[in-house]
Parts: sequence; C-alpha cells; structure tokens
Amino acid sequence: MNEGVVFVVFYIVIPVVTGLAVPMTSWLLGRWYQNGLFKALEVTEAAQGKGFGDAQLVSYQKKQETIAAEYTTLLMANIVVGPSWGQMFLMWVKSLFGGALPSYASVLDYGRREAIQRLKVQAKERGCTSIVNMRVETSVITTAKGNDSKSSSVEFLAYGTGCR
Amino acid sequence: MQPQPVALLMSNVETIPGKTIVNSLGLVSGSTVRAKHLGKDIFAGLKNLVGGELKAYTELLNESRNEALQRMMMEAHQRGANGIVNVRFATSSVAAGASELFVYGTAVVVE
Repeated sequence: MNEGVVFVVFYIVIPVVTGLAVPMTSWLLGRWYQNGLFKALEVTEAAQGKGFGDAQLVSYQKKQETIAAEYTTLLMANIVVGPSWGQMFLMWVKSLFGGALPSYASVLDYGRREAIQRLKVQAKERGCTSIVNMRVETSVITTAKGNDSKSSSVEFLAYGTGCR
Repeated sequence: MQPQPVALLMSNVETIPGKTIVNSLGLVSGSTVRAKHLGKDIFAGLKNLVGGELKAYTELLNESRNEALQRMMMEAHQRGANGIVNVRFATSSVAAGASELFVYGTAVVVE
C-alpha cells in the first residue's frame, strides 16, 4: 500500500507535474504579457484607426488618372513575433487531434495588426494622407523544431505606396 | 566599400502617382541572404517564454531588407532610371536559420 503510493508519486505525479510546470508557467506568463500587448495595440488603433476598415488604406491599385499626388514614397514596416512555450505546447497537444488553434491565431493577429499600425506611423511621419496598394506578407523565420533553431518566429511585412 | 545611397521614386502601384512614365528600362532586383546570429537566436528563444515581438529579428530583417532595396536602387540608377514601379517583396527561408530577402520592380524614367 505504502510502496504503491510512493511509486505513483515518484514515477507518475512528479514527472507529469514537472513536465507540465514549464509550459503552464509560460502559458500563464505569456497570456498576461500578450494581453498587455493587445491592450497597447488597441490604444494605438483607437488613436490612429484600425488597419482593416480604414478608408485611407486600400489594397487595390488605383488607375493612373485617378491618383492625383504631389508626393509618393514606398513605405514598409515589419515585425517578428513568436508564440510562448506554453502556446507551442498547446499547439503540439492540439496537433494530435487537429483543429483550430485560437491561441496561436491571436499571436499572428497581433503581429499583422501591429505591422499595419507601424506602416501608418511611417506614413504619418512622411506626411502621407493615404496608403495605396497595401500588402501584408507573412514568412516563417525560425522554427524551434528539430533543433534547427532555439526560437520560433514569424515575420509580417506590411508595405504600400504612400501618397500626399 | 559602402555604396552611395541613391534616392529614387518608388511605388508598388503600376505608376508613380502624379508623374508620367516616359521610358521603361526593364526589371531590376536586389537580394540578400541573412543567417541568424546564434546568440540572438538563443535570446529570442528565451523571449519565447512569454511570446510577443522578437525585436532583434525585427531589426535584423529590416536592415537586410533595406540592403536589398539599396542594391535594387543601385541597379536602377546604373541603367539611368529615376524611378521604380511595382516594387514587390518576397521573403523565403532558404536553409535552416537563413532567409533570403528579395525585392524586385520595374525601372522607369518618369517626368
């Protein structure tokens, strides 16, 4: 009886708890940190308008005759974001069953929106009143899989033509 | 040798708004391949504890992309262009830990 309890504690409870402690701590810390990032992003979005649903920011190419601009410049802004270890762990768990990954989607959503906000800041700095043909590119920079890399990250590049 | 920066009119639409294209000089491109810094990668890996932005990489990629852009501008400048239209960026992971940043566009003379 007593030996059985010791066996369970030493070979099952302790390994599982220590194994889960790192992802759990990381998930909690990451959630707290990323919520802070989202709050900061929402403040910027409230100040200078959301990226999507903004009349000053269009993704089509206007025809030559309709653009009347006295100044044109190429604008680009980038951001590299990565998930937390806890999110990576959840992804791994979820990958056994498949399906949506809301926690990872929020990381990508943050990166994309932040990149667009940075593009807007650049446009404002150069005195542009609109951004035409805005594009957002996504690319994988590093993956912490198979020891190729220590970090996991995705880059978002937003670019477009600023006009005045 | 650091090439002299050249300033060209650039846009990613088919024209330079407000200007007229008088001559097209063909496609120009610029590229650069960058590998990650092991130390930076380890720090970025530690930043993955909480996730969010990895600033070291943001800066590295921004710098590299500007270098690719500069190479494209040099090429256009040598051909006698004063503008580049339809600029596109492409990023791809070519090897483990290395990325190629490629930028291309059409060199034009505008008035």
